[in-house]
Amino acid sequence: MPLNLIENASMAAKTLGANKLRSGLTMLGIVIGNASVIAMVAAGQAAQIYVTRQFESLGTNVLFITPGDAQRGPGAGASRADTLTLADAEAIATEVPSVRAVSPEKNQRLRISQGATETQANVIGTTHDYGTVRQVELAQGRFLSPVDAQAQVPVAVLGSEVAQTLFGPQHPLNQTIRISNQRFRVVGIAAPRGSSFGQNQDEAVYIPIWVMANQLTGQEAGRTSPSVQTIAVSALDPTQASAAQYQITNLLRLRHGLFQDANDFTVQSQQDLLTTAASITDILVLVLGFTAGISLLVGGIGIMNIMLVSVTERTQEIGLRKAIGAKDSDISIQFTIEAVILAVMGGVIGTSLGIASIGIMTLTTPLTASLSFGAIAVSFSVSGGIGLIFGLLPARRAAQLDPIVALRS
Amino acid sequence: MALIELEQVSKTYGSGPLAVPVLHDVSLTIEAGDYCAIMGPSGSGKSTVMNIIGCLDKPSQGRYYLDGQPISNLDANALAEIRNRRIGFVFQQFYLLPQLTAIENVMLPMVYANVPGPKRRTRALRALQKVGLGNRLHNRPNQLSGGQQQRVAIARAIVNRPQLLLADEPTGALDSQTSQSIMDIFADLNREGMTLVMVTHDREVAQQCERILTFRDGRLLNGQDASSHPSAASLG
Repeated sequence: MPLNLIENASMAAKTLGANKLRSGLTMLGIVIGNASVIAMVAAGQAAQIYVTRQFESLGTNVLFITPGDAQRGPGAGASRADTLTLADAEAIATEVPSVRAVSPEKNQRLRISQGATETQANVIGTTHDYGTVRQVELAQGRFLSPVDAQAQVPVAVLGSEVAQTLFGPQHPLNQTIRISNQRFRVVGIAAPRGSSFGQNQDEAVYIPIWVMANQLTGQEAGRTSPSVQTIAVSALDPTQASAAQYQITNLLRLRHGLFQDANDFTVQSQQDLLTTAASITDILVLVLGFTAGISLLVGGIGIMNIMLVSVTERTQEIGLRKAIGAKDSDISIQFTIEAVILAVMGGVIGTSLGIASIGIMTLTTPLTASLSFGAIAVSFSVSGGIGLIFGLLPARRAAQLDPIVALRS
Repeated sequence: MALIELEQVSKTYGSGPLAVPVLHDVSLTIEAGDYCAIMGPSGSGKSTVMNIIGCLDKPSQGRYYLDGQPISNLDANALAEIRNRRIGFVFQQFYLLPQLTAIENVMLPMVYANVPGPKRRTRALRALQKVGLGNRLHNRPNQLSGGQQQRVAIARAIVNRPQLLLADEPTGALDSQTSQSIMDIFADLNREGMTLVMVTHDREVAQQCERILTFRDGRLLNGQDASSHPSAASLG
């Protein structure tokens, strides 16, 4: 009958404790392996959450229509990147029933000045629906109104950073700014929104799209309706998003005169974008976890090495134990347990370090890393398993020693 | 019935043309309660006999009965159990585990015998008191003198109350005065009925035994007769 495990564990602890430096160094590989598995997986998941939030910050139930066929690569199906027009946006608004608001967007980076202060900003020509679709909150004043769009009034709503840069502590409402030397009256200041996909949304200026087309970007040859870079659409509710996607596609194909040809535009739902991003971040998490897993494996090999050395050094002890009645299985269990204890202790320390690094990550980066109990459970059981597997060979070697030879050595 | 009975035991290491014979046709009987020395020059086969008697090794030919039980056909686990319950070992180099205290070293055989925890401590304590070390329970081997270490080893050997105590050069690493104190312990144990078999080079030590078995070139020179008693022995 093999010895009971507690007995063996306390014996192993005594042996390992007698050589603390070596035990510590042996554990180090597993410590690093565990810490990195937990930290890496947490970082990967945090990145995943971050990306998801970015998409969600775009607005819920939102569809994005962009020129060109994204499915077939840039430029495919349409050689020009200006196949979408303001008229398309207006048609969607009037003819697609599942749509609540439509926000055509024309962007350009332009020079903004107020008095002697000058800066660059992303000028977005759009309509009042932008505020609805993109969920812009205002700190002061109002957003663009339907009247602004029709009457082509040169008004501007400033992003919070632009307002800060141009006006500092001054009150910006009803002041005049210049965009490419055209005068605009400030009617509103957006609340800070942070950045989305590397685009600082607080560095934006919103003006009526017709004003942008007529006064800033200029008339486009042979067009009755100005081109737009994006049409953002919000569906009536999330269940209507795919219906809207379908209806918009049909409408635009009709309007663009496409019968056999492929789409010259792309309609993507936020769900599509999320799925794409998720498939990328899933791979990221996997790669990070795998890399960290390799260091666990290396740690296991470290344990095996030291255990083999230990068996050689303790030949006499093994011989003595066998002489006084230890069976092969007793010796085997003893050495296996020593390896498992090393691995599991390494696991505990590594996990603690991993948790600490998650804390540091959360404090110092925009990523909000959360503790994954799955990762802890996995790395724990994996390190126990590693101890077991890499402990087997040394344990077998110990158990097979001939006591006479062992005692004589 | 004799405690130890070897019948025409031979031992050969290796096989074929490289075979090294170390024991030839050894037959001997040791009765329960005997106090017996095994002598002989190195390479005479005395250690091999000792290993066979101690169930650490098996004869190549011949039979070995321990207390009437045939040993030759037992498997490794059964032999381990016999070593654990019925035989105590004392070695020249003591072989105490350095990370364990005296009493923990003594408790070790009981660990393998599955003796319940509390019982181990009392039995180990009694064994240590018997060898005169009741006051050094919690010292580690490196805090003990050679003689003290050997006494811990003797306590470890007798703690499972074996029928047979085997000692391999037990005084080989000790000065003569300490040696004598160890021999006194052995004499006491023998008086209490323990069978003792001791391998030694030291004729003075051997002469304290009741009987000397002398080996040369793998053969037992003075087997079963009364000439093996030290008073009649003329060899050495």
